[in-house]
Amino acid sequence: MTELTLENVTKRFDDDGDVIVAVDDVSVEIDDGEFLVLVGPSGCGKSTTLRMIAGLETVSDGQIVIGDEVVNDVPAQRRDIAMVFQSYALYPHMTVRENMRFGLEESTNLTDKEMDSRVEKTATTLEIDELLERKPGELSGGQQQRVALGRAIVRDPSVFLMDEPLSNLDAKLRSGMRTELQRLQEQLDVTTVYVTHDQTEAMTMGDRIAILNDGELQQVATPLECYHRPNNVFVAGFIGEPSMNFFEVTLSDGQLVGDDVTFEYPLSASIRETLDSRSKLVLGIRPEDLEIVDRAETDHDFPAVINVIEPMGNENNLLVDFLETEGETTFNVIVDGMRHLTAGGRYAVRFPESAIHLFDRETGTALHNRQVENEPELLGPRA
Amino acid sequence: MGFDIDRLRSRVGRRDPDSGADDVRTDGGTEATTGGSRFARLKHSDLVQSLPFWLPPALLMGLFVYGAIGWNLLISLTDWSGLQQPEYTDLSLEMYTQMPADASFVAAFRNTVVLLVVFTVISLLIGLGLAILIDRNIRFENTFRTIYLLPMALSFVVTAIFWSWMYNPSTGTINVILRGVGLDFLAMNWLGDTRTRLAAIIFALTWQFSGYAMVVYLAGLRAIPDSHYEAAKVDGAGSLRMYWRVIIPQLSAATTSAAVVLMVFALKAFDFIYVMFGDNPGRSADILAVMMFRVAFSRSQWAYGAAVATILFLMALSVVAPYLYMQYKRGDL
Amino acid sequence: MATADESRQTIGDRLADRREQLDLTRVGLYAALITLVGFYLSPLWAGLTTAFKTQAGFVNTTPLEPPTPEWFTIAPWADAFSVMQGGLINSITFVLPATVLSALLGSLAAYGLTKLSWRGQVGVLVLFLAGVFLPYQSVLVPLRQFWSAVDLAGWLAFAPFLANRADLIELTITHTAYGIPICTILFRSYYKAMDDDMIEAAKIDGASAFGIYKRIVFPLSLPMFAVTLIYQFTQVWNDLLFALVLVTSRSNYVVTLSLNELQGAMAQEYNLQMAGAFIAAFPTIIVYVIFGRQFAKGIAGGT
Repeated sequence: MTELTLENVTKRFDDDGDVIVAVDDVSVEIDDGEFLVLVGPSGCGKSTTLRMIAGLETVSDGQIVIGDEVVNDVPAQRRDIAMVFQSYALYPHMTVRENMRFGLEESTNLTDKEMDSRVEKTATTLEIDELLERKPGELSGGQQQRVALGRAIVRDPSVFLMDEPLSNLDAKLRSGMRTELQRLQEQLDVTTVYVTHDQTEAMTMGDRIAILNDGELQQVATPLECYHRPNNVFVAGFIGEPSMNFFEVTLSDGQLVGDDVTFEYPLSASIRETLDSRSKLVLGIRPEDLEIVDRAETDHDFPAVINVIEPMGNENNLLVDFLETEGETTFNVIVDGMRHLTAGGRYAVRFPESAIHLFDRETGTALHNRQVENEPELLGPRA
Repeated sequence: MGFDIDRLRSRVGRRDPDSGADDVRTDGGTEATTGGSRFARLKHSDLVQSLPFWLPPALLMGLFVYGAIGWNLLISLTDWSGLQQPEYTDLSLEMYTQMPADASFVAAFRNTVVLLVVFTVISLLIGLGLAILIDRNIRFENTFRTIYLLPMALSFVVTAIFWSWMYNPSTGTINVILRGVGLDFLAMNWLGDTRTRLAAIIFALTWQFSGYAMVVYLAGLRAIPDSHYEAAKVDGAGSLRMYWRVIIPQLSAATTSAAVVLMVFALKAFDFIYVMFGDNPGRSADILAVMMFRVAFSRSQWAYGAAVATILFLMALSVVAPYLYMQYKRGDL
Repeated sequence: MATADESRQTIGDRLADRREQLDLTRVGLYAALITLVGFYLSPLWAGLTTAFKTQAGFVNTTPLEPPTPEWFTIAPWADAFSVMQGGLINSITFVLPATVLSALLGSLAAYGLTKLSWRGQVGVLVLFLAGVFLPYQSVLVPLRQFWSAVDLAGWLAFAPFLANRADLIELTITHTAYGIPICTILFRSYYKAMDDDMIEAAKIDGASAFGIYKRIVFPLSLPMFAVTLIYQFTQVWNDLLFALVLVTSRSNYVVTLSLNELQGAMAQEYNLQMAGAFIAAFPTIIVYVIFGRQFAKGIAGGT
């Protein structure tokens, strides 16, 4: 039973006198057997966080606890973890068998026979048993990836760490490996921290995802919760492809008034109450929640022109502009793939009130998130 | 602080699938630490773990290199000579102040500088020429390169013996060839004549080390992308012009590093001259390295020898220090 | 039609011209390369022909001519070999350990200064690097003082076999010490390019710093060991200066000392000198011919 806990973990680098805070006061509790995905843009500190858990970087402040033990001062060699590197980092002079045995030889007292049987069993699971006597240089990228995975699995560690393990694979292999990794992790039931910059991986693989930006933890929640109930404007924009549309608005007389665009949006009293009397706001709405109608009918419909249509087959990705306004206001709308629309055509865009998010423009914090029906089933019991 | 959506959008938009490795990763940054057992931290710090590997070699090297340099400096401040042991009580710069008045020191110093400059320049030019010839897609490239570099693998003792024979006034190859092509008046006693002695030494050393310059230049030439040659050709530059205007300016790094190493070779040219002439090659070909050995080990004027050695060290330092500093600035260390 | 024909002709002519021009430059190029081969090999050729000639032979013929049966002899080789035999054996006994030790220590130092990262590495590294360029004259007097103060022969008096070879042990240690800087620099450039992730993977796999060296870094640096050993072997084998200063007993003469002595004692016997020079150069020439690539790498990396 291994829980992994980060308590106020901070990493500061001293860069020629300038202190750079790479990871800022991050706290997460990861349950035994849980699959946590650490996700964020480049330079957000996710890799540094992983490396601190691995023992490859020291912790400047705070604690990392594996099981019951504070491991800040425990060297990587004795943390009982295994890590899969983006570059695979296989030992090029050793065969696959020797690569997988290396960790067992260095960190266990198993007999040769026990080691071989473990290596062979793991290799069979990963379908690399044919490759055991080959060297990494003779393997394809996908095969090397499996060996790297096998090297981690064979050790039967208490925690798995994975640093963008799929990013060197081509797109087709990647989606196959994604499913397989998930299945493996469920089977092995080992606590796993998985770092990626790819939000699709984050959404599809994680039991929970932890979103980092500029070294700060933005949200830790299930994928759907992050999607439907983002804590702030960063999470809202980061999760979801294409990104949520944002508009700077000001609340006056019960209406959201666009700052840059001619846009007046009546807001119902129940939502106004959640706004904590803030008036400088950001209105967010996902492209798939916007609707295209032939002409403005309700006061939540706005005349618009479709600039570009990107047909994706199952859906159409539209770039849309408000009519009768100045300035850059292009935003995304996704509609059904069977719907026929003409580029350059004039329509109206409907902003359903049930789907809007409102954020405090000063802090970025979410003040109101969209309605979610059958909430317990979709998002799970709220902690 | 206001929240800027454009900035946010641009940041979000910048996620591209291949940039995940840009995460902050620095090596060995120091960090302010609070809490935790300092001892445990120390025990597992990379510095402590790395000590057993580099400290013993560093100590051995440090003792023999830096310890000896310091000791040499100290000895040069004494008046130690003869068979007794040095006394480190009465230190003075006397050994250094007497140098300018010592004609043999002045001659050796001048010859050292001449050797340094002329040998380095000629070796660089020949090396560059060889590299350009070899870089022209020739057949048997490896064989040619191996032959040009071969003298570099030989001991100074061996090459000095070969060249003594080459320069032999009656049957040496040099004079045989000169007479053979009708240049009898040029055939002379190269090593015996004080006017040609230094030049003859420089020529032989150039033979031995120009292959080194070739190797360095060849690496430099190979590092220049083909597109530069092609661009120059498209611009209508002729071969010579192309090398002069486009290629050679890009070899400045190779030139610097080759020049530094060649100068250091020149400062070390002791073995060669010693085998040819013994410890006293005469004013015309004496260099500091030989003079130092003669003064200290033949005449037992230890302090004076140490002082000459210090001058030699400072000369090497004045060549190497700027080079190392440049490398450091460029982040090549 | 006429114009077309004309233009075709001109193009053809121009092509032929160019081919001729091309051939001429190629011919010139190879002529230059071969002349240079003559220049670089002429001292060796002159030495080789002379070493096979009798005294009368090398006086009466030019060194450019190979020996005719009239003048041919192999006596100089036998004579030179008998003079230098002891020196050859002594050189082999101290050059091999000195070469292996400095390569090994250089590799360990480079590992400690590259793969285990800590602050201040660059400072230590500069000290190593500066050591590469040291003119040995500037340490000669203290070196001699040091070894006479240490009195290695006295320490080893219990083992006469070693005590008699104290000079050679001193040479071994001295060459090892002065070889460390260049070896460290050669290995460091190699280790810098080695994959850091792999070292970290080994760390996480439970390997200690020494285990990582032994099982990962060392096996992977064998190509660099070849480069370093070959470079260092030629350097140490070829050295005269340290031997002049440190070797006091004749029985410990190394090959460069023997050759130097041969040259001084047999001033007019050029055939003997040349044979001696080739005997002394033989191991380095063999190593160079077999491992020329590694040698070139060594000297290029030494900058």
